[in-house]
Amino acid sequence: MPTASDTTETTKSASAGPSGTGGTPHGRGTQRGRRKPEFTARRGFLIAAFMTPAAVFVAVFTYYPMIAGSQMAFRNWKLTDLTDTSWVGLKNFRDVFADPAWGTVLGNTGIWVFGSIVPQLVIGFALALWLRRKFRFRGLYQALIFFPWAISGFLIGILFRWMFNSEFGVVNDLLQKAGLIDEPVAWLADPQTAMFAVVVANIWYGVTFFTIMILAALQSIPEELYEAAALDGAGKVRTLFQITIPYIRVTLALTVLLRVIWIFNFPDLIFGMTGGGPNNETHIVTTWMIKITQQGDYGRASALGLIVVATLLVFAVFFLLATREKREVKS
Amino acid sequence: MSRRTAALALGTAATMVLTGCSAMSGGEADGTVTLNMVESLTNPARTDLLKSLIADFEQQNSKIKVNLISPPTEQADQKIQQMLQSGSGVDTLEVRDTTVGPWSNNGWLHDMKKDLKPWKGWEAMTENAVKASETADGKTYFVPYGFYGLSVFYRTDLIKEAGFDKPPATWDELLEQASAIHDPAKRRYGYAFRGGANANGNATAVIEAYVADKIDPADGFKVKDGSTIFAAPEAVDAMKTYLKLFKEASPKSSVSWGYPEMVEGFSNGSTAFLLQDPEVIATVSESKAIAKDQWDTAPLVAGPSGKTVQPLATAGWGIADGSKHKAEAVKLVEFLSEGKASTAFTKKNSLVPILKSATEDPFYKTGPWSSYVTMTENPDTYLNVSQPRGVAWWAEWQQKADADIQKMVLGKTTPEKLLDGWDAYWTEKRQQEN
Repeated sequence: MPTASDTTETTKSASAGPSGTGGTPHGRGTQRGRRKPEFTARRGFLIAAFMTPAAVFVAVFTYYPMIAGSQMAFRNWKLTDLTDTSWVGLKNFRDVFADPAWGTVLGNTGIWVFGSIVPQLVIGFALALWLRRKFRFRGLYQALIFFPWAISGFLIGILFRWMFNSEFGVVNDLLQKAGLIDEPVAWLADPQTAMFAVVVANIWYGVTFFTIMILAALQSIPEELYEAAALDGAGKVRTLFQITIPYIRVTLALTVLLRVIWIFNFPDLIFGMTGGGPNNETHIVTTWMIKITQQGDYGRASALGLIVVATLLVFAVFFLLATREKREVKS
Repeated sequence: MSRRTAALALGTAATMVLTGCSAMSGGEADGTVTLNMVESLTNPARTDLLKSLIADFEQQNSKIKVNLISPPTEQADQKIQQMLQSGSGVDTLEVRDTTVGPWSNNGWLHDMKKDLKPWKGWEAMTENAVKASETADGKTYFVPYGFYGLSVFYRTDLIKEAGFDKPPATWDELLEQASAIHDPAKRRYGYAFRGGANANGNATAVIEAYVADKIDPADGFKVKDGSTIFAAPEAVDAMKTYLKLFKEASPKSSVSWGYPEMVEGFSNGSTAFLLQDPEVIATVSESKAIAKDQWDTAPLVAGPSGKTVQPLATAGWGIADGSKHKAEAVKLVEFLSEGKASTAFTKKNSLVPILKSATEDPFYKTGPWSSYVTMTENPDTYLNVSQPRGVAWWAEWQQKADADIQKMVLGKTTPEKLLDGWDAYWTEKRQQEN
């Protein structure tokens, strides 16, 4: 029959850790992790010295022009007549919203961003999953898929402009040979199909970026997880939704955020392909801004520029807030 | 990085900056003046040609050096604008009929009227060139180096096949011949319609041809009674003919055709008629799809009165108001605008020449160029009318007009409504101007 002291001893040993040093785990970053270097004035000075050139460069070439340019939005700033650059308050903003084309431009921007981003994500994901597997000539396929990213958007626009040309373009030629259309479709001349054509071109161009990012994220998933899932009898679909997607969720979220901002700010392709036509039917906010700039109305173009910056800031904040919790859990 | 390396790097950077600054200022250490010259319609062959002409100029003027700046065409005018705005760094520059208005309006261009008064070069120039060098208020902001003028490129074999023995002389004949040839099922099209970028140029050309009898020679967008050409009843007939030309004789997709598609449509042998500048002669000559005996050019088609207006676009060399070496810059402008330099520049850039002597030059008298000479030699039929391309709102007008033409061919507006809109636009702008 155990005594009281025996009971005490048993309790002590039961609460002891496996190493016999008590139950506290080793603190991360203390004994095993890297020690945080001590911050000294000399070190601070060194960091500042390294950062100063870049900071000055960004301040001079980004922030100064941005601030200086912002004031144009509130002035009568027309390059055709710089003799009167008086303060006009919110007139330029009112002119932007009062333009009859503004509704079309806004609608097109939505179609352009979301019509491009969803297919880019889905196709990019599929390609990344395919390229993750080991097979012959994988490197060649990767190079071929990543190639479009190396070409300028404007050039891609011109390429697709010729491909979609009704009379001499390869798209109609292939569709007619395949028996899918009887007579040539005037893709870029018909307002109904022109927006579709530019979105298709943009999907082709942007899939690459998603593929690169997702492939990099996929390669960081430990193989043991898939082995364990296979042992548990999980199928491909279940593995995809319960291991792959949760593991790379942060990369997906940030890639989508980046791409939305980039696509929103990507007039090059439309400019090369349709120039915003026919009848202004393929203009998005940024091509519209360029059009106004070309007319020499820098005041109205700056007002539109500020609207773009404000819209993207709001979007970025909301998006980051919406995905923050998941990202914190993940990290 | 050691202190010594850092100091060396800083010293080098400072030296480079200072050297750059001294080069920018056109330094005159040994009495030599350096002129900064900026071109606008840049392309590699043209830049090489300009460099060789500048070398000749420097040889003749040992105390003047010319530093040629060639920005990419798309951004060139904006780049020049920034340089002019800063007030330094540019002496001689390329000024276009579309940029002269806003730039002179902002006081960025030097009026060369007095400087060029004693110049003998004027005597050798065509009437068109002398006219184009002057603004409405008698100032000279640039001396033209040549013209971009329209003529009809046509397929000799296709018009013969369709039963016509000569190229069209009027817009109605052009419509008739192009419609007869047009057969989309065979991938053969009548007319290379310009519906995309710069569609306004050809649309106003047809209107001007129809109102040629009434037109104000000093302002191609006005008739003699002071109203706009768009308000004239003949303008409605002109636009209806033009719309028919699109519907009955042009490829569907030409709603969005700009320069490259039009030229491609003619060069690849699928389109019978094209209205274009002389620079296209070189492009079509290199075509593998059509042989030399299958195409030619004819003078610009006329309106019902048998007359037409040559919508000449032009550009030339001018001087920045901020230049500190105006006398030397004038010398350069004179050199480029006369004799061998001018002839070489117009020939190699496929421009309608500014010198009278060109009409006797075999290069211009024969083949596709002859139609341009015909037009120059017959100013009563092919009227020389100044276009208001120098107005401050020209860029805005071009964009508005291009969009309106697309609306009309897409059936979203009528010729009458389009013309009403254009009339209202120009009337209002003129009133604001006055």
